[in-house]
Amino acid sequence: MSGIISVTGMGVICAIGNDSQAVLHSLLNRKSGIGKMRHLHTVHDDLPVGEVCLSTEEMKDILGITGDAPLCRTSAMGAIAVKEALRQAKIHPAGKRVALISGTTVGVMDIAEESNSPHGNQCGKSTEEIAEYAGLKNAECCTVCTACSSALNAIMLGSDLLMRGEADIAIVGGSEPLTRFHLNGFNSLMILDRERCRPFDDTRAGLNLGEGAAFLVLQKDVENALAYIEGYANCCDAFHQTATSPNGDGAFYAMTGALRTAGLKASDIKYVNAHGTATPDNDASETAAFKRVFGDAIPEISSTKSYTGHTTSASGAIETVICILSMRNNFIPASIGWNNAMPDGIIPSSGVSGVNSDHIMCNAFGFGGNDSSLIIGKYPPASCSIPYEDKFPVKRVSTITIDSEERLGELKEFMSPMESRRLCKMMKACLLSAFLAMKEAGISRPDAIISATGGGMLEMSALFLDDIFTNAEEHLRPTIFMQSTHNTVGSAIAISTGCHGYNITYSQGQDSTTWAMRDARKLISTGEARTVLLCSFEETVRDGKTDSFKAECSIFSNENI
Amino acid sequence: MEELILSLKQQLIDALYLEDMTPEQIDNDAPLFGDGLGLDSIDALELIVILDKNYGIKLSSPEQGKEIFTSIHSIAEYISRNRTK
Repeated sequence: MSGIISVTGMGVICAIGNDSQAVLHSLLNRKSGIGKMRHLHTVHDDLPVGEVCLSTEEMKDILGITGDAPLCRTSAMGAIAVKEALRQAKIHPAGKRVALISGTTVGVMDIAEESNSPHGNQCGKSTEEIAEYAGLKNAECCTVCTACSSALNAIMLGSDLLMRGEADIAIVGGSEPLTRFHLNGFNSLMILDRERCRPFDDTRAGLNLGEGAAFLVLQKDVENALAYIEGYANCCDAFHQTATSPNGDGAFYAMTGALRTAGLKASDIKYVNAHGTATPDNDASETAAFKRVFGDAIPEISSTKSYTGHTTSASGAIETVICILSMRNNFIPASIGWNNAMPDGIIPSSGVSGVNSDHIMCNAFGFGGNDSSLIIGKYPPASCSIPYEDKFPVKRVSTITIDSEERLGELKEFMSPMESRRLCKMMKACLLSAFLAMKEAGISRPDAIISATGGGMLEMSALFLDDIFTNAEEHLRPTIFMQSTHNTVGSAIAISTGCHGYNITYSQGQDSTTWAMRDARKLISTGEARTVLLCSFEETVRDGKTDSFKAECSIFSNENI
Repeated sequence: MEELILSLKQQLIDALYLEDMTPEQIDNDAPLFGDGLGLDSIDALELIVILDKNYGIKLSSPEQGKEIFTSIHSIAEYISRNRTK
């Protein structure tokens, strides 16, 4: 066996259980964890949520953390899940190169929103804290922020690092707590259901937010593993910041890309854990994509968000754990809350037991069209066709830096006033440097887009957070929220260039650009992409407004272009 | 009604960042979405915020907004019939 990615441990904490066994028990008993809010303090406490049944103080006790300093819930849940995964894998990290890769978008916002100070929202900080609390002080930390597909992209990145020999052990997953920030953000987009969510039901009226964390321990070529990573793809819908394309382009590319890399046919997939958020938009678009991928032979499909709520950035890892549980215990989780078929819709699984699933697909799609799909297998796969070897030289073709307000007017050359009207300064600077770098390189669309930022969209985050405080969580502006996430820049570049390829955002403080560069070089040298656009950006804020900013876009290519 | 229409246009220009436009350039009866002014789903959500914040009208879903937001005229009529402030 060589070149196989084995899952040797897993840990999870979410609304239906504080460990894998508890989650399995809830799934088998069809017990949803969605209910009344107990831990988050918000005026919208009538909204049903999938909360973890532990206060942050209780998590502190579990982790043996002393002291009065406030504990970030992202870090606490993440550490609890990582520790469970490490116990199961029975590994000894000493002397090994360990990478800890976490997907989160909320990051340390739960601490920042207590003091109305988004300046501290360095997503990477939560990953460093997870490493500390889980006893992985020497781990190389990396944070992926692609909204609701973050954790699935973290799993893919960990697999890549192992295959390329850049790590011996990859601990991969994601963590996301409930915060007032994103609860109000989703509320401003009017996609939260006041009742329990009903994925793929004709009467569905939105999602219920959830929280949690899950991590997998990945190692190369370990036999008798829990499961194996068979294939995956990260694509972009490139349609709209908050809406999905009606025919599900991004979802279609992600699912077919995962099948291709796994060397499988659509009919080999026995079960799909859908993204299935229960928003009118997502479920219609994902259904359209399922029909394009599977035709008339739709496999068993369920959305386990009807148990956990939508755990956003963590969902890809939590649902991968659920897929492994269902694979190892020969069942398919029922999609609960479903009663009425959508016109031309799918009928989600009512639950199956005694079923043997050799290949399971897990979908996670994020705002901005960051769509990813992962396939796990019960047995070691014969081969994996994801390219890992360096074959091509890597050349930086162009680099453009935009850091002055005077230059932002040049955006007119590339975008109509109607297209650019809502963009904040940071976004304008990023788009302008992207367009100019592409122009200099002589391309109109890159094959892949990689973004890097430590602090993210500070002005928009500060504005939204300030509105939460000033307006008592009412009348919040969707235009501001949708430009507050780290991945909004990468998505905007994809939308304006029509780039459906690989799209990822790294946030690890000072190391953000190093991680992005590493990925860009890999994509070019392995031949996965012929051109990569890398966008690094940071801004500072004074009195709630952008004070200084810097956006730098580079085009990488192999010389044979 | 004229006063409401003018105020509404100015609110649209501010909230939807239509900075290059003046109230006179927005036709009272022209469609706001699609081929008309070219607004999108995020604009519809911003209009829902305006209705709630400034006129005390709460819409429960974006779907409900679709019928009301056909033109400036239709929004003004809806507001004058349903406003609570």
